[in-house]
Amino acid sequence: MECVLQCFLSLAVFGRAIHAIARISDEFWFDPLEKGLALRSVNSSRSAYACVFFSSMFFQHYCWTAGTQPCQKEKQLSLPCKLIIKSVLPVFRCVNVLERNVEKCSICSSPSEQHITFQLLCRHGVVKTYNLTFQECDPLQAVFAKHMCPNILKVHSRLLADVIIHFPSSQEEITLSVTPMKVSFKSYTEEDTDFSRTMLTEIQLSPEEFDYFQVGVDSEVTFCLKELRGLLAFSEATSVPVSVHFDRSGRPIAFSIEDLLLEASFILATLCEAEREISYLYKYCIFQFHSLFFGAVSYKDKAIGDTFQSLVTASDTEEELGALQSSPVL
Amino acid sequence: MRFRAKIVDLACLNHFSRIINTIVKLAKTCILRLTVCKLYFILSDKVANGGASMWCELSQGNFFDEFQMEGVAAEHNEIYLEFVPENLWRALKTAQSAKAVKIKLTNKHCPCLRVAVDLPSLSSCSRIVTHDIPVGVIPRRMWNDFREPSMPDFDVSIYLPVLKTMKSVVERMKNLSNFIVIEANLSGEMNLKIETDLVSVTTHFKDLGNPPWASEDGCQSSGQGRDLESMAEACIDIKKLQQLLAGQQVNPTKALCNIVHKRIVHFILLHEEVSLQYFIPAIA
Repeated sequence: MECVLQCFLSLAVFGRAIHAIARISDEFWFDPLEKGLALRSVNSSRSAYACVFFSSMFFQHYCWTAGTQPCQKEKQLSLPCKLIIKSVLPVFRCVNVLERNVEKCSICSSPSEQHITFQLLCRHGVVKTYNLTFQECDPLQAVFAKHMCPNILKVHSRLLADVIIHFPSSQEEITLSVTPMKVSFKSYTEEDTDFSRTMLTEIQLSPEEFDYFQVGVDSEVTFCLKELRGLLAFSEATSVPVSVHFDRSGRPIAFSIEDLLLEASFILATLCEAEREISYLYKYCIFQFHSLFFGAVSYKDKAIGDTFQSLVTASDTEEELGALQSSPVL
Repeated sequence: MRFRAKIVDLACLNHFSRIINTIVKLAKTCILRLTVCKLYFILSDKVANGGASMWCELSQGNFFDEFQMEGVAAEHNEIYLEFVPENLWRALKTAQSAKAVKIKLTNKHCPCLRVAVDLPSLSSCSRIVTHDIPVGVIPRRMWNDFREPSMPDFDVSIYLPVLKTMKSVVERMKNLSNFIVIEANLSGEMNLKIETDLVSVTTHFKDLGNPPWASEDGCQSSGQGRDLESMAEACIDIKKLQQLLAGQQVNPTKALCNIVHKRIVHFILLHEEVSLQYFIPAIA
């Protein structure tokens, strides 16, 4: 698989995607597909999942070739692989500097060698080559039925950034509260919060500020702010509006952006008020670790969730080689 | 006890925020004293503060469009609150384009200063950001701990050099030593000195001028009879000096310091609408 990123905007956007994913976890899945390149990540507690899909049109040149593996009936895909974020981040460390100095970035991989090569052609003839080793692994994909969420907000990332700036950078969790008449973001407080030591912040907005505002059910969802910040920085680089899909407390909240060239989704678990604990995503999303097990995807209740939960745990420890079918992103 | 205030003018808001920023650099927690006409930020010289103390005074009329307070009792019409300046700074920092900022003393879960910021937005309704800053109410019996410090019986009083210059000198010295010696005389000369095993550095300032203090009975200042060339000095924690200077973003109208030889340095920074006094004790 080989793809070439050119034009400064693309490089900055790609770099910001890496930074955004870095907020989720230390490693990410690098998944070249026929239609484009998918980067995915999930955190260790399975409470946050990110996927950024760059269509082949995003790149100046995208060339993907199937691997050649014997005895497979389905079309072969090159294996997705896991990369450690820490090794990729230095490549895209200073996004602003990148824009000025790098003329072209090419990414290529070959299954025979155990590494992915990032090559930056910089000004003055400087060429930086990074060979990053990867681990082969099972594909990762979480499917979340956004369209079934009763609450949908759509807004430019600038608004969300302007809201979050009022919270201290140390603020871990915030609560989004909606009714058909108003929206507010506030610092999350637990029952045993020491109010005499904690500064609390709340921002109230009017529904008019949103490009699209649909509230089917009054709800208050609490999620981790740190993971959201990454997505916001990324979406500001792309200037694509952010869609927020969510439901009652305990069910995941999805922040996504979508345009012709790319799609990104950050799915965060929310605190379940009744149980006072984070509901892990596998209760509500279907994590495809082995596509041969699952057919159609649907958003269902706990019963199926539990089955998948055990499958998830089982798949984690298996190391399956051989071609696996990866379906496209959500 | 009630307190309610409002700032509508952006310049006043900006100025007030800058004062809070100065206070943040000097104290982790401090006392806010509210009277009908003035606000005071007070840091008393407890050991926890490294012995440094601060007295900052401003007239509420110069900043607030509305200011109403009712103290603890009619004859003690004042409120003393302990709070973390950093919290207030954070609330004001993102309010710089606000249509209005209201501050109110409330008691929901615990006593708080509620800062409500009215921000402009694209829609017809404004965005409202509310910050609840927890405060501790200081009971009347402890008010005596926070009286205005008296002017020490100083040996030398001298105007400070241009603060920007002094700041950059002290910042470089901070990299070399934890303590700095300030010495000055009544001829307008001041030296800043650091000394370590490897190096000693002195920066000399001259022609600074000495403020003319008259004592209460009309006689000449206590400096009279003192040899004009003789230096009074004090060795102080360099970080405290650096923090004081770093907090000054605007040049004060008057900046001076009074040195009590080997005891304490008393800094006085006067702006049009606010006065700040900062005491740094000498290290033994």
